[in-house]
Amino acid sequence: MTKAKFSPVLGRYVTIDVEGEEYKVFYLENGTGQPLVCQHTAGCHNHQWRGLLEDEEITSKYRVIAYDLPRHGKSDPPSNTEWWKEEYKLSAEFFMKFIVTLCDALELENPIFMGSSFGGNIALQLALHHPDRFDAVIPVEAADYSPGFYLDWWHHPHANASQVCASGVWDLMAPQSPDKDRWATWFYYSQGAESFKGDLHFYSVDHDLRGKLEQIQGDKVKVIMLTGTYDYLTTTEDGRRTASQIKNAEFIEMVDIGHFPMSENYEVFKKYLEQALNSIQAVKA
Amino acid sequence: MTVVVENQWIQRFTELNDSNEELNAHGKFFTCSYLLDMESVKVLIDMHEGKVKNINLDPGPLDAYDFAIRASEDTWKKFSMPTPPPMYHGIWAASFQRDMKLEGNILVLMQNIRCLTTQLEILRVSSIPV
Repeated sequence: MTKAKFSPVLGRYVTIDVEGEEYKVFYLENGTGQPLVCQHTAGCHNHQWRGLLEDEEITSKYRVIAYDLPRHGKSDPPSNTEWWKEEYKLSAEFFMKFIVTLCDALELENPIFMGSSFGGNIALQLALHHPDRFDAVIPVEAADYSPGFYLDWWHHPHANASQVCASGVWDLMAPQSPDKDRWATWFYYSQGAESFKGDLHFYSVDHDLRGKLEQIQGDKVKVIMLTGTYDYLTTTEDGRRTASQIKNAEFIEMVDIGHFPMSENYEVFKKYLEQALNSIQAVKA
Repeated sequence: MTVVVENQWIQRFTELNDSNEELNAHGKFFTCSYLLDMESVKVLIDMHEGKVKNINLDPGPLDAYDFAIRASEDTWKKFSMPTPPPMYHGIWAASFQRDMKLEGNILVLMQNIRCLTTQLEILRVSSIPV
């Protein structure tokens, strides 16, 4: 009999209050050191960070925490409201309050926040509005503005919403990324159709930092942006333009990878992430 | 392109499609017709339950289809490379960032998007008939 192999990653629930709503939040974590808080992409869940969570080189230096945003994965919608009577439309304000409340609940000191896609966009918002709460942010596949993806197709009742969401984001990934990882990401996306469109309300409608990037206190909160060359939604030009307007910010172009780098090809993503983390530590030195 | 070469391409694409493991596993309801407009060449593909029912490389003005995917010959050539360059690697990417247009009954496209995505990637093996 083959010996069972246990992962060092542990999952736990924490119940928090955000704007009077009660959320039982699921998170995975592994490692010790400075907290590295990870936000998944829209309509997805924390398994996108599976490679990072089990990376001994990173977790020997960082406490990696990957949570499920409410209405995703194992984090339910609020337990004390009739959420089913309202259309879900994520706002920047709620998104930020949730993240800060969660970080407070976990008593995280000096965390680095990293998110991809809508998680990258909220990283920029956090840098602008909460520069004292985070040591640094790593917006992945982010931009000051990302219109065009708040589409009814994600919810159309005459189509298979699971497949529309999953195959609709297929070519956000690079063709060079391994099949098994692209299909794992596809699989995650087949599970999140009900939240995807509401998430994209933040991504493509509510999030707009045009003309505000210069207000980000880049001397207080280091901003390092990473964008893959195969991302057609927030292109490398978008990332470079955004970073160029933020004080002390850096932009790193990631070659031959797409919009879900941590999930579609962790080995390629890792070298760029290490570059970003080293840059953050260099600021402190 | 001669008729003989056209027929060889049709036969090659059909064989690749009909033997595709993903389409055999998931194509039970993949029934629709669509046009690939490559400027100099137009390909009308008629699908039935995941199998190629007919391919017409010379569709007439009254030949019907559910939806069309139109782009320049250059875009289709890049799309069909074994490893396509960025922004030519899918119909969403090429529509958002290049000259590709999705027209007609897009609902049918969305209803079949899983199999359609798989099928269009066959062009990276068969190449395109231009």
